[in-house]
Amino acid sequence: MADLKIEGLNKRYGSVSVLRDIDLTIEHGEFVVFVGPSGCGKSTLLRMICGLDDVTSGQLMLANEVINDVPSSKRGIAMVFQSYALYPHMSVADNMGYALKLAKTPKDEIESRVRNAAEILQIVPLLERKPRQLSGGQRQRVAIGRAIVREPDVFLFDEPLSNLDAALRVDMRMEFARLKDRLGTTMIYVTHDQVEAMTLADKIVVMHDGRIEQVGSPISLYNNPVNRFVAGFIGSPKMNFLAARFTDGAVAFQSGHLHMPHASARLTEIGIRPEHLRVGDDGEGVVQGRLVATEHLGSDTFAMVEVADSERPVMVRIPGERRIPHGSSLSLTFDAANVHMFDAEGTALPNETRRADAA
Amino acid sequence: MSDLSASPTAAPRRISPHAKRGGVKAGENRFGILLLIPALTAFGLVVLFPFLEALRLSFYEFTIQMMSPEFVGLDNFRRILTDPTIIGSFVTTLIFVSLTTFFSITIGLGWALILNHPFRGQAMLRGLSLLPWVMPAVVAAFLWGWIFNSRYGLLNSLALDFGLIEYPVAYLSTNAGAMAAVVITKTWLSVPLFMAFFIAGLQNLDREQIEAARVDGAGNFHVLKDHVLPHLRPVMMVTVVLGIVGNLQHFDTIWALTGGGPVRATTVLSIEVYRRAFEQWDIGMAATVGVVWVATILPPAYFYLRQLMMRAE
Ligand SMILES: Nc1ncnc2c1ncn2[C@@H]1O[C@H](COP(=O)(O)OP(=O)(O)O)[C@@H](O)[C@H]1O
Ligand SMILES: [Mg+2]
Repeated sequence: MADLKIEGLNKRYGSVSVLRDIDLTIEHGEFVVFVGPSGCGKSTLLRMICGLDDVTSGQLMLANEVINDVPSSKRGIAMVFQSYALYPHMSVADNMGYALKLAKTPKDEIESRVRNAAEILQIVPLLERKPRQLSGGQRQRVAIGRAIVREPDVFLFDEPLSNLDAALRVDMRMEFARLKDRLGTTMIYVTHDQVEAMTLADKIVVMHDGRIEQVGSPISLYNNPVNRFVAGFIGSPKMNFLAARFTDGAVAFQSGHLHMPHASARLTEIGIRPEHLRVGDDGEGVVQGRLVATEHLGSDTFAMVEVADSERPVMVRIPGERRIPHGSSLSLTFDAANVHMFDAEGTALPNETRRADAA
Repeated sequence: MSDLSASPTAAPRRISPHAKRGGVKAGENRFGILLLIPALTAFGLVVLFPFLEALRLSFYEFTIQMMSPEFVGLDNFRRILTDPTIIGSFVTTLIFVSLTTFFSITIGLGWALILNHPFRGQAMLRGLSLLPWVMPAVVAAFLWGWIFNSRYGLLNSLALDFGLIEYPVAYLSTNAGAMAAVVITKTWLSVPLFMAFFIAGLQNLDREQIEAARVDGAGNFHVLKDHVLPHLRPVMMVTVVLGIVGNLQHFDTIWALTGGGPVRATTVLSIEVYRRAFEQWDIGMAATVGVVWVATILPPAYFYLRQLMMRAE
């Protein structure tokens, strides 16, 4: 059963087009993450799903009913706002029970559901406090609790972790994963952080400039990005891009070559992830460069290598701790199966070696 | 490592020559008091001194027939408590103040809620709404005097046109009509200020909070009752006190519209004092009424100031 269906959706503010031709199907119980750079329209899309903004054109369907003009109070969708938007003059318990109170739920049932949600989120001792007496992380939990209590058809989260410090963010990310297993409700989660997207999502929707670039599972986006934008956005550190040409059965760089007999003549650029590069010259592809900087994380060493074919230094991930003198020349090597190829428009070209591998 | 820990002993510590005796905040209070001196001087000259003079006179009998004031102790205060006309003025004041304060605030709030939603002509309507505020009170009284006039008044001509009345009505010559007229006029004058207060309050209401309430299922009524009004509570406190203080003091439009009449129907305390002092030249009694009147203003004024101070912190 398709739970939420978006067809040909457009949003304009006056003459400014914010969302264009959005088509998306979200299955019941799926955890979907909208990811994309700031300003690409993620919040706008979320606000339209929960009815806070009008749809300019297109259709929004929930359980096969068109809900374009249903006010948000009647949609049965719960949303956690980026700013949490707790009700400042109500206690935590009243905040969480507010929707139930409006729905005329009996008092003792409100109480037990609030208590239940508070136990899941471990905020029982906070129930009598006012929002201003809470820390950022606690407010976050209350905001989530307010949504859980309603047992809604769909949960929306707008960058719920962006106001938390790094350590807390990792903890909360884990809790979201647990919540997802426990509740099994459809969840739509917005973030600009691709790590959050990769770790949480069943399905990632990559957005850019008001459009959907690609929809797929985290691993399929990582392995098979359909274009240069998705390739560069998914994965950390970012994919490296090298200008390339295909001539006489081989891919040529200014500073090296790649043995790849079946590439397309439209090829203008290849992409290769830092974790797929290594120092040496034993692979199918080799480029020459000069080391400009290193980052030592203990578990890995990241080397930044200046290569004639790339404007930015190429990032190489070397497992473990390695000391290499800065300024030294070195050659980098990689396998054809890990190469992504793009044409002048940035569209991904098929990699025959990769296909053969996958099969 | 070891050379780092050794360095403090190598160079002896001394206190920076820029250090201030008494800590970094020293001197700030003295400077504050310096800034207050002009205001305090003005306050002493135009407020405190006349008030103390009135307080002194309230213990004297001093009328037009007397050469010099004669000390009577608390006699004037006793007379106030037993004089039915003065007690009547207190009751009239109570009615006037409650009605004007209530209507100014409810209408000001309602108008602010309407003007807070974006629509075409919103800015212009807001500007126009402020008009009564900038209009001199005497002009306002003249305007409303014309509206309520018994012969050529706007109200009469409209009511006649709609067939609500058969003959023109002399609104200002009935007790209730006169009170209604002074209440309406003062309300009309006060609404813009209160509206401005409420609009300011509404503008720092968190938009996402309201959106969250809508997603939680709140309609307009619940948004107003559960979110907008609680948010405006501090503003409401301030406007109530400000309204009470302002209306207790009010004089000019009442004087211009009804002169306190018919008979004593709209004689509030300010009119009472004016009459005693400048029509009957009963200065001692006027001063006494004035003192009692100030005493009724002080508590709400105190609460108002306290509210302001608490918000400033
Ligand atoms: N009310 C509005 N009026 C005009 N433009 C808006 C409005 N709301 C958002 N936008 C524009 O829409 C674009 C997408 O905004 P948003 O959905 O908030 O992006 P994101 O959440 O992905 O960062 C932005 O360029 C923003 O400036
Ligand atoms: Mg956003």
